[in-house]
Amino acid sequence: MLLIVGGAGQGKLNIALEQTGCTVQDVGEDGLIVDSLHLLIRERLAQGRELSTWLEQMLPKQAVVCDEIGCGVVPADAFERRWREEVGHACQFLARHARRVVRVTCGIPMVLKESSRPSFAGNTEKENVE
Amino acid sequence: MTALVFGGTASGKSEFAETLAAQGKQRTRIYLATMEPFGQEGQNRIARHRLLRREKGFVTLEQYTALKSLHVESGSTVLLEDLGNLCANEMFSPAGCGGSRAYWEIREGISTLCAQAERIVIVSNDIFSGCEQYGGEMADYLSLMDGLHQWIAGFADLVVEVVCGIPIYHKGGQAC
Repeated sequence: MLLIVGGAGQGKLNIALEQTGCTVQDVGEDGLIVDSLHLLIRERLAQGRELSTWLEQMLPKQAVVCDEIGCGVVPADAFERRWREEVGHACQFLARHARRVVRVTCGIPMVLKESSRPSFAGNTEKENVE
Repeated sequence: MTALVFGGTASGKSEFAETLAAQGKQRTRIYLATMEPFGQEGQNRIARHRLLRREKGFVTLEQYTALKSLHVESGSTVLLEDLGNLCANEMFSPAGCGGSRAYWEIREGISTLCAQAERIVIVSNDIFSGCEQYGGEMADYLSLMDGLHQWIAGFADLVVEVVCGIPIYHKGGQAC
């Protein structure tokens, strides 16, 4: 699994598609590429649903794309604070298991982690096409 | 050795900073805690951090303002956690020196620390990439933080940003 992070509007999804060889048809919560993980986490928190088992289901994905939302002033609202914390912890968890972690700025990918071995026993990744 | 370690919320910056601080040969390791323990959320955060640094050999020292009055053992390691709270305390807490003096007060405090300790790791918060526009006290707070970041980064041996638990070295390298 590739974890792609960065600010909003940096071209993260394009990099995810480029680096996996997937198409927009593959994008979705149940697809090969999960986009906007931060929003899915927010929805689950609002519904009071658990995160950890659900996050484990992300490990065999081709790529997970998530906005970095924890780099602004700490919000006054408790739910907003909790959301930021959970997104941060989720990204740390995914990064530990990811084959590659990329941060995208202005459309430019910066590789933060690259490991040659498959990161997860149930890996269903396609051949790397780059 | 002085290091500035920063990152967003739950980026893994504290864990990285603790490991970096504990890598030194210094006998005494001081965890300089600057967060005033307000409310349940604050208590939970403190408990989580205590668990993280358990077995890393730190003695906890709580000091919320006026770092310049601190005396630490010469040649020790100090892990300051964190600059964001220290700035907020100096600016907004009754014991603080107030917004107009905070920058120089904190500079003096950190300089005092650097003169005594041998290995200093300062943890700070990346709060500069939010979408809201602030005025008033919050704008002053942001400006205080960014001024201190730039001052510390100027003399630090190591400036590290932590993203998803992974360090990005902006200044210096892994040898520190």
